[in-house]
Amino acid sequence: MRIAEQERDDVLLRRAAKGDEEAFTLLYRRHQAAMYRFALRMTGNAWAAEEIVQDVFMTLMRDPKKYDATRGALGAFLYGVARNRVMKHLERLPREISLEVKNEDGTGSGIVLRDASTPAMLMEKRERRKLVRAAVLELPAEFREAVVLCELEEMSYEEAAQMAGCPIGTIRSRLHRGRALLMAKLEMFRDVPRRASAGR
Amino acid sequence: MTCEEFEAIGLDAERDASLSDVERVAAREHASTCSRCAALQDSWQRAGVELRAFAEDTAMAQAPARVEMRLRQEFRTQHVTLKARRAAVVAAWALAAAAVLAGAVSWRNWRKEETANHLASPQSAAKPPANRSNVMTNHEGPVQSAAAVRQSDAAEAGTLMADNEMSGFTFLPGAFAADTGDAEILRVRMQRGALGAFGLPVSEERAGDWIQVDLLVGNDGLPEAVRLPR
Repeated sequence: MRIAEQERDDVLLRRAAKGDEEAFTLLYRRHQAAMYRFALRMTGNAWAAEEIVQDVFMTLMRDPKKYDATRGALGAFLYGVARNRVMKHLERLPREISLEVKNEDGTGSGIVLRDASTPAMLMEKRERRKLVRAAVLELPAEFREAVVLCELEEMSYEEAAQMAGCPIGTIRSRLHRGRALLMAKLEMFRDVPRRASAGR
Repeated sequence: MTCEEFEAIGLDAERDASLSDVERVAAREHASTCSRCAALQDSWQRAGVELRAFAEDTAMAQAPARVEMRLRQEFRTQHVTLKARRAAVVAAWALAAAAVLAGAVSWRNWRKEETANHLASPQSAAKPPANRSNVMTNHEGPVQSAAAVRQSDAAEAGTLMADNEMSGFTFLPGAFAADTGDAEILRVRMQRGALGAFGLPVSEERAGDWIQVDLLVGNDGLPEAVRLPR
């Protein structure tokens, strides 16, 4: 049976719980990109992001009753699950050695930088984005989460607070401190090449 | 607005919906008067541009198709297993219900037969056990009733039917198998304790139980052998 694209998430989830594979697939396609982007931006690792997305939807598949439609949208619930997985991943991270294969463009992150300018500009942009990415990934997890949700996912403070499960004031203060750290890091990254080139 | 307040809420005042208009205006005014905070805001806006560029690079990122394939495979496996398990549970319940039903029907039939047997021996039901002590010979103890039926007119009596097979009898002292040619079988009800009079072992605890016994009675009217029908 064909399922209407606009079918509500909770309806689809009920059908999926009864064994409707098409409903489950539709749910997955609706939400996977947002989950993957969030995980990728938080971990900076494509393998980890893939694993996290898989875990999130496995949880939904195995225990669909965990989601309570009266408490909010399915997207928010999935974000919550993804966030827990990301935090667990980040806690484990120092003990793990990354075996990640470098991408063709050398970013090694699973994040493919796309641009179509002259080779020199392309190189410069790539360098700058690598620096931004490194600066974001070096932030402590809570500050990084606030920056990812508010700056990269472009959520409002209220939405971000809801996702992170904390008051709006906490998000604002985390974002403030995250920004301060990020600016300091970016300034430092900018200065290092300058000093290096001045030293020559 | 102070510099500290500006750093906390003013940097992103235009975007923060939770701020009031007054706070927004104050932030704008502070940035226009404080060169340090204005520089900070510039710096943040530059960082914001770089962040947005970084966000754009990952804006179209999606989980690889293999994730969907793995999830769908898992979904199928899980739901097939679930269906099989449900079918097994239903089958188990159906079997259990059938067993209970069969048990109930056979118990009902057994009870019916029991009742019919009781009704078929009205004398035994009418007489109290104390008065039923005197049917048989000097060998027997208290025998419950004279409802014993001769094999030949068993059909007429329509009561208790003794098995006409001669097997399974225990001969009483002084009786011999050779003397049983004309003997007949009588089925009587008696207290288990009375079996002691035939030289059979009796448990004291069960001596008061009423049981059915087949007696092989000779021409002289004396019992020659005894057996407990099944």
